[in-house]
Amino acid sequence: MADNRVLIVGGGPEGVKAARQKSEEGAQVTLVEKFPSLGAERIPRDRLIRSDEGFINPDLDKVRNDSNIHILPYSDIQKVHSGEGAYFARIIQHGLRVDNTKCNDCKACIKVCPVNMLDDFNEGLGFRTAVDFYNPVTAEYNIYKEDMPVCQRSCPLNLDIRSYVGLIADGRYLDSLKTIRDRLPLPGSIGRVCPHPCETACNRQYLDEPISICFLKRFVADVELNEGIEPVYETPEKTHPEKVAIVGAGPAGLTCAYHLARMGYKEIQIFEALPVPGGYLWVGIPEYRLPKKLLQREVDLICNMGVEIQYETRIGEDISFEDLRKDHDAVFIGAGCHKGLKLRVPGEEEYEGQGIIDCVTFLREQALNPTEGKGKLIVIGGGNAAIDSARVGWRMGFDEVYILYRRTKKEMPANPWEIDAAEHEGVILQYLAAPVEILGKDGRATGMKCIKMELGEPDASGRRRPVPIEGSEYVIDAETIVPAISQGTNLEFLPQDHEFSLSRWNTFEIDEDTCQTNIPGVFAGGDVVTGPDIAIRAVAAGRNAAMGIDEYLRSK
Amino acid sequence: MCTGRVDPAMVAGAFKKGLDGLMVVGCYFGDCHYITGNVQAKAKMDITRRLLKHVGLNQDRLAFRQCSSGEAAVFVNLVSEFDQRIREIGPIGGGGDPVEAPDIFRKMETAEAVLAGEKIRWVIGKRTPFLESGNMYGEVFTQHEFNRAIDMIIVEETEVQEILRELREGARSVKGLAQALTIPSERVFKYITALKRKGMIKLDKVSDRTPYFQIIPQEG
Amino acid sequence: MIYEKEKRYIVPFDDVPSPRAEMPEISVDERRGNFDEVETGFPESVAVTEAKRCLSCRRCLGCALCWAECGVEAIDFDMPDEVLELEFDDVIITRGQDNAFSAIDPAWGYGTYADVITDLQFERMLSPTGPTDGRVVSPLDGEIPARLAVIQTEPEGDENHLLSSVVLGVNESILALDRTEGLKITLISPLSPDFKERFLADAEKIAGLSMVEGKAGSVQRSGEGDPLTVTYSHEGADHTETFDLVVLLTKPVLSSETQALSKKLDKPVQ
Repeated sequence: MADNRVLIVGGGPEGVKAARQKSEEGAQVTLVEKFPSLGAERIPRDRLIRSDEGFINPDLDKVRNDSNIHILPYSDIQKVHSGEGAYFARIIQHGLRVDNTKCNDCKACIKVCPVNMLDDFNEGLGFRTAVDFYNPVTAEYNIYKEDMPVCQRSCPLNLDIRSYVGLIADGRYLDSLKTIRDRLPLPGSIGRVCPHPCETACNRQYLDEPISICFLKRFVADVELNEGIEPVYETPEKTHPEKVAIVGAGPAGLTCAYHLARMGYKEIQIFEALPVPGGYLWVGIPEYRLPKKLLQREVDLICNMGVEIQYETRIGEDISFEDLRKDHDAVFIGAGCHKGLKLRVPGEEEYEGQGIIDCVTFLREQALNPTEGKGKLIVIGGGNAAIDSARVGWRMGFDEVYILYRRTKKEMPANPWEIDAAEHEGVILQYLAAPVEILGKDGRATGMKCIKMELGEPDASGRRRPVPIEGSEYVIDAETIVPAISQGTNLEFLPQDHEFSLSRWNTFEIDEDTCQTNIPGVFAGGDVVTGPDIAIRAVAAGRNAAMGIDEYLRSK
Repeated sequence: MCTGRVDPAMVAGAFKKGLDGLMVVGCYFGDCHYITGNVQAKAKMDITRRLLKHVGLNQDRLAFRQCSSGEAAVFVNLVSEFDQRIREIGPIGGGGDPVEAPDIFRKMETAEAVLAGEKIRWVIGKRTPFLESGNMYGEVFTQHEFNRAIDMIIVEETEVQEILRELREGARSVKGLAQALTIPSERVFKYITALKRKGMIKLDKVSDRTPYFQIIPQEG
Repeated sequence: MIYEKEKRYIVPFDDVPSPRAEMPEISVDERRGNFDEVETGFPESVAVTEAKRCLSCRRCLGCALCWAECGVEAIDFDMPDEVLELEFDDVIITRGQDNAFSAIDPAWGYGTYADVITDLQFERMLSPTGPTDGRVVSPLDGEIPARLAVIQTEPEGDENHLLSSVVLGVNESILALDRTEGLKITLISPLSPDFKERFLADAEKIAGLSMVEGKAGSVQRSGEGDPLTVTYSHEGADHTETFDLVVLLTKPVLSSETQALSKKLDKPVQ
């Protein structure tokens, strides 16, 4: 049976062919193509041709003239979901900015346009100008205006990097900081810890090296600090009476509160289980990367807007989640991922807390109640938390600090500059080794049995899978062992019979646009949704949630 | 006459004719009879200097200075200092510039063509709105972003104008143009493709394995 | 979003290359036993110099010169995006015209030598409405090549890809030979059994095309102005040969958006 309404994504030869077939079967077809023109005039790839039949596609004319086929070029599927046997799609058709019913193809515009770019339709063999035709056959003109530069696009928060870096170049540091704070209330903190996907995308890398965007952000934050300027974040005169509860004073929660306050919400309460703000930024990122004093100041500036943080208040213990919902018009959950995952090897349970301590607890203890270390420390894992734990251990005074990782340096998920810094400080990295058993004596861990690994075939992540080498077990002694393999959420604050829809990783499932969970009025964002991820993504989620909460409360 | 009226193309034209130095002296900011004539003048001379430097002129040969009509002593000082500096650099193309004579005069001709061109004149004229109220999309430029936009036009228009000047003298091949102009041949190929797309040049002939292109005279 | 294929054109500005600023740090000796901040921050002059390296990437400047030049008032900067909320009974996902291909090994010289192009670029070059009006020329210097190599860049695995890419290579050769006098083409590929069975006999009859069953190794240029040197193995021996233009048979990949959409709707890509 032919379906009635068919959406075809992609206007290449396959899409055009499918459109024609579906139309012949009697369907109403919508053909969506992200570039400004269909591109089906191609050389066949399934048979040898004669020299006069290279670029002919009989389907294309049929499709262009078929009243049952609605062609949407220069269009994007912004959102799509399925349900009850149907698909719902939100499609954005971008404005061409040239009225092609008026255009007479005189080429006056392309003669004067000062902007050259690679001609995408011709695979970059030549130039086009910003205003130009895309497909020479249809000669439909468009103006190519990027929606964002690549740096801004790759930033989860879409920070206006081009502007704020330009303002630094002009010497206008405080204007630059203001531009950053339009979205990000923690520029000094993020400017120190962000792994900067923007720099990974920066176009300048193709000429020499990317711009040092992250540290420039830190620079303007430091200028304000060093000049002793205490900014006041403005809140509007028109206020909203609704009460919003935020669970967790981490980057997501703080940012959510900041944006809600900027929208005029006066009753924002953040509930924080720890005695300190910042979430993982305080208890996970070590002091030598992000001084607490600086983080505290950035939090204080948010609190000065009227945001209240209730410390040492654990939801589910001090206040029930139900009461929280009852007392507030909306709730945002930004509880993070503060549970270190287990190695799941024999001996781990037995010596827990006695020489074996997961990285989250290890880093948190050191942030809240610093102690000294001695003897040998072994950290297991290859992520940033592993590197942080090792570098913290080295500073605590452990005599020897090792990182054990089951793949090689190339596969390590930690930032390469962090790995280098750790090595530089004398941390010893042992690759291609994995723990088999925690050994102990008299109730304390004393060491570990390990096995050597080799790299096999690539797994789903594209990294080569480590395979144990049989019979290669060996034992290393250690006073302290810190597993830093991954982190998970701790959702014990929810009532037993909660009805949230959760993923199989025990994270909240939310609406991408609004951050709302399946329970109306309850929103979630940050690591508690994504699993352990970078701070700027949590900040972005906090901002999205603030907008979602506002939309929800204003339409109530 | 207001310094804001000094046309950048005229400046390049003067150097083309062998001038060794040019100083534009305007009123102090805030004193302009036309409000912002001197601001425009400084911006125009800054851009002209960027271009002249790009094509190989010592940038000190073009100066923008300010003094009021009542400050005779200041004026004398400015002139003496500039005169002194130009004497240090020496005659145009005589070793004080990255490009020497007679090539420097060909470069000045190119600079004049770029500065007389619609693209750069239009964008220079957009400086104030770009920096203050924004472009057609409401994007306000920083000075740095504006400089990049101008530099983009400077780099590319210099090459395009050199290619067009050669083509006005007769049909040329990509390889021939690259050799004559010391522009990388792959860039010449892209420019030639672009000029053809714009209807400004066409294929003249193919001789042996070499396509030659000729200019299509433009109206107006 | 507004898409641009993953090839970037950047104006060769005068300040390129210039090195990136390095973050000053306290020495390792100063770090032991304390938690002092390691990175001390950019001094002002360093920050400004670094910020000035920014290329301010931007396509349309929004200068409206085109609008001023357009005699029929067709330019409309305020033309809005249209948002459509639509319902469908079925969705078909296709590859579209991204033409993304898997990363090309630097050994093939793509991106380094302008006269090494992809099969997709060659296809556009051969199109009568393409940038060269269908003429085969070298993007390095605009000259018409006499010797052209078509080489398989991913000779391992995926029989379907091997078959379709070689068929494309042969078809492109047919068009190129038809419109280029005195052109000689060498196609180097391991040639899948399927191709040999179905097409090889016909391909070998094409005048000017030599089918070489082998594996190409690298593309290099020994000196400026020299032709490209291709190394390849054929019948157990290593060969080197020079060419004026090299076309790489690439392996197509799906864009991340298409993959994500396919995963989300649990629909295969057709």
